[in-house]
Formats: sequence, structure tokens, C-alpha cells
Amino acid sequence: MTRRVSFRDRWFAPVETAAFREGVRAMAPFGVAIAVWGFVTGVAMVNTGMPVSIGLVMTLTVFAGSAQLAVLPLLAVGAPLPLVWVTALIVNLRFVIFSASSRPAFVHLPLRQRALAGYLNGDLGFALFSLRFADDPERGNPTQWGYFYGGAVVNWTVWQASSIAGLLLGGLAPSSWGLELAAYLALVAVLVPMTVTSPAVAGVAVAVVVSLATVRMPLRLGLIVSVVAGVAVALAVERVRTSVAVRARAAGEEVR
Amino acid sequence: MGLDDWPYMLGAIAGLVVVTVIARASFFVLPARIELPLWLERALRYAPACALAAIIAPGVLAHDRQVVISWDNQQLWALVAATAVFARTRNMLAMMAVGMGVFTVLRLLG
Repeated sequence: MTRRVSFRDRWFAPVETAAFREGVRAMAPFGVAIAVWGFVTGVAMVNTGMPVSIGLVMTLTVFAGSAQLAVLPLLAVGAPLPLVWVTALIVNLRFVIFSASSRPAFVHLPLRQRALAGYLNGDLGFALFSLRFADDPERGNPTQWGYFYGGAVVNWTVWQASSIAGLLLGGLAPSSWGLELAAYLALVAVLVPMTVTSPAVAGVAVAVVVSLATVRMPLRLGLIVSVVAGVAVALAVERVRTSVAVRARAAGEEVR
Repeated sequence: MGLDDWPYMLGAIAGLVVVTVIARASFFVLPARIELPLWLERALRYAPACALAAIIAPGVLAHDRQVVISWDNQQLWALVAATAVFARTRNMLAMMAVGMGVFTVLRLLG
């Protein structure tokens, strides 16, 4: 007779209860922000003309608010699917950095536990986790996993409940209220924290100008062109800043 | 094709799940010997911000593929106000309230 392994043991790393509770408590204060963001996403989906049924499928499976909002204008005009996916991938690229950074805590777990933990590793969860364990030398233990899942459970539950509420209630608002604007405002909330250094500001400014200049390009390819131009300029500004800093330091040493 | 076309939307959703899992689980799943090269990390740091900007700007400033920058653009003023509030406070609720509030006031006045 084979021993049955529970669903929890298959998909989740072992957790320490106290750490799980700590993770829940750490994420709880962000509940309001998560709820606003989820509600806006749900409202935006129905307001751009998505049937509630499709919106439910999307919300319950994709679990990536900024990517969902970003592709809405593309889906509304029936853009080619590869372009939709590439756009979502670009918006999601920040998660690649998150996963590289949190990797030591998860890399020794079974594959499916790593895949699920990655799927749950959103912006807030990552920020809290890296803050909490920034100077913890031991990487990967039930304390860290418990804290991670505790935050993730709050994030997932509040997000799903609020975006389903948005899907169900969004259709009741008249279109003159301009609720589609809320979707763009929600994207600003993701954009602003990523745009604090001068290379990022320069890149974003270029992306804005190029996106307006290429608005007539077929298949909405202007988006890709804008990202390439923006990243190129951001990297160039970064290089100039670095070489200026290096030269300043060298000059300072000569004086001494 | 569009938001109410089931085959199109299910295809879109399936792909969105795949690219989300690829991005979020990438380095959890890749073999440990593969590391994120520094040049790639730097490029990845800027790409999402540029993509979001390139989605927001035409969404607010263009209609029917025509860029219209005008004082009468209520969405633009709402966006500027909301961005200013969020940059200062990092408060999602406050920025939504201000952004939608500015838009609604301008709409009712205009």
C-alpha cells in the first residue's frame, strides 16, 4: 500500500506556524491597497467589454494585475495573440529579477513547489520577504517558507475576492463615469516606484514620446518599439552616469 | 476577435498564465549554475517601466490612433494629479480618489 501524500505536502514547502502567522500579519496592512487594485482590475475588465465569465477565468488563473490591465487595450481591438503575450511578458520581466533574488530560499525544493512559489511571488510578497530576510544567512527553512506563504495567502485571497467583486459590480456603473481611467491609474501605481532613478526617468520619458509617435503603427507594434528605445536610453544614461562618477573619483584621487 | 470571443480569449488567457509563470518562477526553476547576467538584469530593470509608460500614454492621450494633446483632456489632468499624489504618498486609495475625483469634477464642469 502506498502512502498518500497530501495536496499540501506535494505543492507547498514545510512551514513553521508562527512564521506563517507573521507573514499574514505583515501582509495584512497592505490589504486595502491590494483590494483597491484588485477591484479596479475587475471593473476595468468588464468596462472594456469583457464578459464576466471570461473575466472570472482570467482572474482566477492569470493572477498578474499589471499584465492583465496592460493587455486589455490590445485584447479589445483583437490584437494578434503573440503580441498580447509578449506585452504581458515585458510587463512581467520585473519578476525575473525578483525570482533571481529570492532564489536561494527556494532552489532546493521539489520542482512543483518551486513553480508554485514562483507563481505566488508577486510585487508585495517579494518586497516583504526580501526585507524580512535581507541579512538572514541561512537560505531556505520552514521559517522563511512559512513567512512567504503567509503573505502570499493574504495577497491571493484579497486580490481574488476584490477582483471578483469588481467584475460583478463594474457593469453597474454607467460608462460616463470613465472607470476605464482607473485602470491606467492602477498601472501608474506600479510604474512610479520603478521610476525613481534618473536612467529610469529618462527611459520612461523616451518610451512615452515614442509610444505617441508610433501610435499609428500596425498591430500596436509601437509598444515594442517604445520599450526598446526606452531601455536603450536608460542604459545609455546609466553608462554616462557611471563614467562621470568614475572620472570624478579618479580626479579626487589625483588631487590627494 | 475581441473581448467576447471565447476561443480568442481562452488562447490569450492560456498564454498569459504561461508567461506569468515563466517570469515569476524563472530562477526558481532554472538549474543553479545558470545565473542572471548583470547586463541582462540592468535591461530587465527598465523594460517593465517603459512598457507601462508606453501603454498609459497612448491610452490617455490618443483616440482612434490620433494623438490629441489638449487642455480639455480630462483624463490627462486626472492622471497628472493622481501621479503627483502617488509619488508623494505611495497611497493607492488616495491616488485613486484624487484621480477619479479630478476626472469627475472636470467632466461635470465641462
